[in-house]
Amino acid sequence: MVQEKRILYEHLDVPNINTFDVFRQHEGYTRFEKAIAEFQPEELAQMVWDAGLKGRGGAGFSTGEKWSFVPRDIEPRYLCCNADESEPGTFSNRYVLEKNPHLLIEGILICCYAMGIETTYVYIRGEFTLGKKMLDAAIKEAYEQGYLGENVRDTGLNINIYSHPGAGAYICGEETGLIESLEGKRGQPRNKPPFPAVQGVFMKPTVVQNVETLCNLPFIVGNGVEWYTQMGRTYGDTRFDPPKADPNTGTKLYCISGDVNEPGVYELELGLTCTELIEVAGGLRGEEVKAVIPGGSSAPILTHYELDTRLDFTSLTLAKSMLGSGGIIVMNETRNIVDCLLNIMKFYAHESCGQCTPCRWGTPWVRDIVQRIADGEGRQTTITRPKFGVTESGRWGDTGETEEIYEDLDLLENVANNIANVDTMTWNTICVFGIAVSWPAVSYLRKFRPEFEAAIRDSKLVTLSVAEATVPPEENYAYQQRFIPKEFAEIQETTED
Amino acid sequence: MAFIKLNDLEIEVEDGTNIVEAAREQGIEVPHYCYHAGLSRPANCRMCLVEPYGPIPGAPPGTIGPARQLATGCTLTVRSAPPERKLEDKYDAIVRTDSPRVIKAREDILEFLLVHHPLDCPVCDQAGECDLQDFSYRHGHDKSRYLEVKNVPPKKDLGPDVLLYSTRCIVCTRCIRFCDEVSGSGELGLINRGSHDEIDIPRSHEGTPIQLLDNKLAGNVVDICPVGALISKDFLFKSRPWFMEKTNSVCSGCSVGCNVTVEYKADGLYRIKPRFHEDINQHWMCDDGRLGYHYVNSDDRLQLPLKKVDDELSTTQWADALTLITEKLSEVEENDVVVIGSAQATNEDNFVLQQFAHDVLKTTQLGLFGQQLGEEHKYPQFTIEADKNPNTAGARTILGSANGNVVLEGEALWEKVAGAKVVYLVSGAPDRPLEDAEREALEKVEFLIVQDVLPSAVTELADVVLPGTTFAEKDGTFTNSTGWVQRIRKTVDPPGEAQADWEITQQLAKRLGGEIDYHFAGEIAIAISENVEGYGDATHQNIGDTGVKLD
Repeated sequence: MVQEKRILYEHLDVPNINTFDVFRQHEGYTRFEKAIAEFQPEELAQMVWDAGLKGRGGAGFSTGEKWSFVPRDIEPRYLCCNADESEPGTFSNRYVLEKNPHLLIEGILICCYAMGIETTYVYIRGEFTLGKKMLDAAIKEAYEQGYLGENVRDTGLNINIYSHPGAGAYICGEETGLIESLEGKRGQPRNKPPFPAVQGVFMKPTVVQNVETLCNLPFIVGNGVEWYTQMGRTYGDTRFDPPKADPNTGTKLYCISGDVNEPGVYELELGLTCTELIEVAGGLRGEEVKAVIPGGSSAPILTHYELDTRLDFTSLTLAKSMLGSGGIIVMNETRNIVDCLLNIMKFYAHESCGQCTPCRWGTPWVRDIVQRIADGEGRQTTITRPKFGVTESGRWGDTGETEEIYEDLDLLENVANNIANVDTMTWNTICVFGIAVSWPAVSYLRKFRPEFEAAIRDSKLVTLSVAEATVPPEENYAYQQRFIPKEFAEIQETTED
Repeated sequence: MAFIKLNDLEIEVEDGTNIVEAAREQGIEVPHYCYHAGLSRPANCRMCLVEPYGPIPGAPPGTIGPARQLATGCTLTVRSAPPERKLEDKYDAIVRTDSPRVIKAREDILEFLLVHHPLDCPVCDQAGECDLQDFSYRHGHDKSRYLEVKNVPPKKDLGPDVLLYSTRCIVCTRCIRFCDEVSGSGELGLINRGSHDEIDIPRSHEGTPIQLLDNKLAGNVVDICPVGALISKDFLFKSRPWFMEKTNSVCSGCSVGCNVTVEYKADGLYRIKPRFHEDINQHWMCDDGRLGYHYVNSDDRLQLPLKKVDDELSTTQWADALTLITEKLSEVEENDVVVIGSAQATNEDNFVLQQFAHDVLKTTQLGLFGQQLGEEHKYPQFTIEADKNPNTAGARTILGSANGNVVLEGEALWEKVAGAKVVYLVSGAPDRPLEDAEREALEKVEFLIVQDVLPSAVTELADVVLPGTTFAEKDGTFTNSTGWVQRIRKTVDPPGEAQADWEITQQLAKRLGGEIDYHFAGEIAIAISENVEGYGDATHQNIGDTGVKLD
């Protein structure tokens, strides 16, 4: 049985940990003091890179690498903390904000020191009223204690934090959409490049980090890189010669919801399998697992054939899915996949910001097609034209079969792929919202096609058994690239021979 | 300069040129909607996707291939690269606009654009000059796969001259960016979200407008709208674009001298649209100029000469009017005649007038009937000048070009007029009111000859009125306030027996024994270029469509 490994959440349940005094008793701000006393800013940035910390917001981009893109000669630079946690199925940042906001402030302080930043904006999701209240109180306390403001603890650093509530748009969790919203404009993502690291808030270099990423910093500084890299796994990236290390180190706040007995946030080392995770969350509620969404609603779905997939950034990328924000939704045999997709598509059609053409008009179209299928009005044609193939006599000819064509399923896949192509991983949109729409649409359809066909054939939603509903891996293109990555140590051994 | 490979062409372009412009120079179309050369580039229509080439990650160094993602041609700018970053050792960029991926992407985007479009081309004003129509025809599907209900946002009245057919809108935001960046007035914005995006003006909760789109540059949003969403009320349902003739000309509304295209049919002018000129008006013009053409089509236009009989003006024949004038002019001393040129007339008109005064009437004191001052409007990227005459600078120079000529303006002129017996006044400014001093001076004149296009304050006082022509009915040149000499061209025929101002003056000169003999305006321009200082290059041939800047 896998045990929780609480680091970020270690003191979450301590009464009044949200106050400065209690936080201070639990090593609070000592890591920041250590950072200032023992390390130069550049050393800290290198440490974060060496620790292999990957951004926890969704993209899983190496934090140290991102910091290296920020030009240190342009003033001012900004830190923007993304607390606009809006991916359906994700709820981990919220607990940090509500229960332990000083941890976030300490992370921000370390980042500001490492990057020479004086101003931080925390963009909080508008619905997190309690979280914002707690954070604001904590910021006030930190100012009073001299950890924020001018000349922090007599170190000569000036660090200010401003918290800013969002107004409830999903797209404002996208980093450039967030920046636009923060600047007081309509929350619409920007074209990239330039990336925020070069031109971000007010067109100045900006580090945009998720709450969870920043909360990892105190522990990397406090316990050292070596301690941190022992958690999780480090894979080898064999595309490079010699193979490069691809770290998936540290812990992750997995938000488990759906058909499990004890849903909630679990802090676990990166790289556990789906099966292990369901076990941690009190086991499955129901008979068998039908599907698992591994990283928030925009991630491609995993079938019961893929439950051995490790839930870390690299493994899920290779499984043609993503860890994203770590919002894991488990579905049992009673769930209808068409219905699930409709639910998700309604959300995305509502949240499309409307800036660029494919997403503005493609997303509601995809929703309408799924709606039509769910309403039992999906189109199906039985084609009576001869189907060519090898006949019983072993020659080419009419096999006597008729072909059934589900026009709406082809249309659904085609329209979704026109917004963003999931096979080539290219999108015609400005931001990755496009792929967040087409990823679920195409993966649900390809992996659970029998259920979609049943809905059209029977003119109503039909929930098939797990075995019937799922397309086996060997028959489906959607699984094709899936293989289990080798750990870096193993690869190094074989290459050294 | 950047050396790039565009499709199979090897071309050199300026640093910072984007692919849409680089391709346009080569005659290659990269379809686009949101991109406009005069505005910022949000790249939101995604129509101009092109395929850039670059090093392939993970492949051996020097391997060039198409990038994983297509890039928008409007934001993809090329500039000279350092030697180590050249592609294939010589190119600064390699871009394809015709690869299968690009062609498919265009088809896909067009399909999305047409999903909610009403396809009401038969009743749409834009049909015929619509980018959505043209690009659909050239790059799109022939069938729609969309079965669902289309969005039907309401039609909106945005301002004095602009209507918004929201159903046709493709939300390219050109109009919003125009109001933010060029006019700086920011009346337009987006409301709602996603597929319900609509362009709108600020409104109260009840829907009553708080601010209308009524700045003096508002008409430009109709021009830049790539589809038929923004429509000019002035032009609504008047004509199909393909029925109209188009002629390049210059706006006569003020001394900026915006380059325009005059669109007309045999029965008059229909529309004036701005034409790009980098140093004068860029892509824009103001609504005063745009909508100020109506007087050309007016039914009140002077068609025959008028003669005052018993204090009433009545029509007469050219021969009669000219004889009457010749008689009067030959009777008076040269000091008793004042010839007044016009800042509304072309350089050619004024030059012939000046020759007539100097050579035939032997008078050196000429007047300039200008001073039509309005309000100056300054916008972040555009200025409407206070001087409402198109040719003040030109008229001043040309009238004073001959030896000893003095050009009188303002009080000095009206003093002189008050003491004169015969005044020959070329006006052409139909809306110009007369001040009291001017009226008094003109009333004292024994015999007042006025050349004008419409009945006006000065024609009322005249003894003989000669029908002249507007900017739309003659050839010639205007000199704007910044010293650009630009051509206006004849579009429609003048009404009735009206004639170009220089032709009238020339006939008078001939009757008085003068030796002025020009056949067309270009000939006068050559004479100007030979005789007037600074106008050496300003022949019609040199001026062309872009103008000549004076030294």
